[in-house]
Amino acid sequence: MEKNTPLTESLFYILLSVRKPNHGYGIIQEVEKLTGGRVVLGPGTLYGAIQAMTAKGWIRIYSQETDSRKKKEYVITELGREIFREEKARLGELLANAELMDNY
Amino acid sequence: MTRFRLMYNKDEETEWINDMSAKGYAMTGFCAGFYFFDPCEPGKYEYQVDFSEGFFKVSQDYREFMTEAGVEIVCLWGPWVILRKKASEGAFQLYTDVESTIEHYEKIRRMFKVVALLEAICFIMQIPAVVMEVWAGAGGMLVLGAIFLGIMREIRRINNILMGLYERIGKESDCIGCRGNRRVSMLLPLGLLFNAAAVMVPAASRMSGGAFFDTVMHRVLQILALILILAGIVRTWRAGE
Repeated sequence: MEKNTPLTESLFYILLSVRKPNHGYGIIQEVEKLTGGRVVLGPGTLYGAIQAMTAKGWIRIYSQETDSRKKKEYVITELGREIFREEKARLGELLANAELMDNY
Repeated sequence: MTRFRLMYNKDEETEWINDMSAKGYAMTGFCAGFYFFDPCEPGKYEYQVDFSEGFFKVSQDYREFMTEAGVEIVCLWGPWVILRKKASEGAFQLYTDVESTIEHYEKIRRMFKVVALLEAICFIMQIPAVVMEVWAGAGGMLVLGAIFLGIMREIRRINNILMGLYERIGKESDCIGCRGNRRVSMLLPLGLLFNAAAVMVPAASRMSGGAFFDTVMHRVLQILALILILAGIVRTWRAGE
């Protein structure tokens, strides 16, 4: 099986931003807010990531044209959540081990 | 206003279009080397050039996505997509992490490699026409040779960019990349150009009538071409070791 983690920073934050349905521009804004403006996703990067993650089944299209304005929303799938949990565990390990640095 | 330019380098192109925008000329279209501009407030737009999977088209998805992000699709040409965003809405960069930038350049490099290959095939197919002294064939060969040179230079430039990017994420260029980094010696395409010129001489002699001089020219050019091609092959070979 293809190894999915570690996730790139962009993929990590995009997955996080679609924990509830979110649309393209909304994802950019949320990631920018979460990182205090450090990570601003370019539309090319985000578009490619959405295409790739949809193909892998990590996220799916949530709604299309439900309201009057045409905005495509994406939401994380169960598989996507699993990938994210895996990554969180990995990052947790990193962070826990990082403590060793201060304890010596 | 219309400007004519032939560019292989998409980064140089982006820079130039943005310079024009800063001077008050907003690009509105492109067709076979002709860039069309409309007057605009200086610096009103920021431009970017994307590479799409489609040819003269992008998916509905892409279109909607860009529109929603405040990005306007200015025009499509081949696989290229010219995009712009109002500068007042903040900086405009398409690819903001190393991984997606790598993917972007990998796609462009792949396309140039395919084009180079097709070009080489066309070049070879021109030979019978030139032997039969069809002028258009010889001219075509020169043009093809020149374009081939440009493409090889661009592939080399992208190889260098990709090497730097792979280094940043701690990876060696993938193996296909490694082979791509074998530098094709410039002598090789130069030799091909000389060869094309040599084949043009007999065709020219029929028009002018200076048979003796042309025969000498023909031989000299052919020998030069042969030396260049051989040296080019040897140098390319050595560069790979």
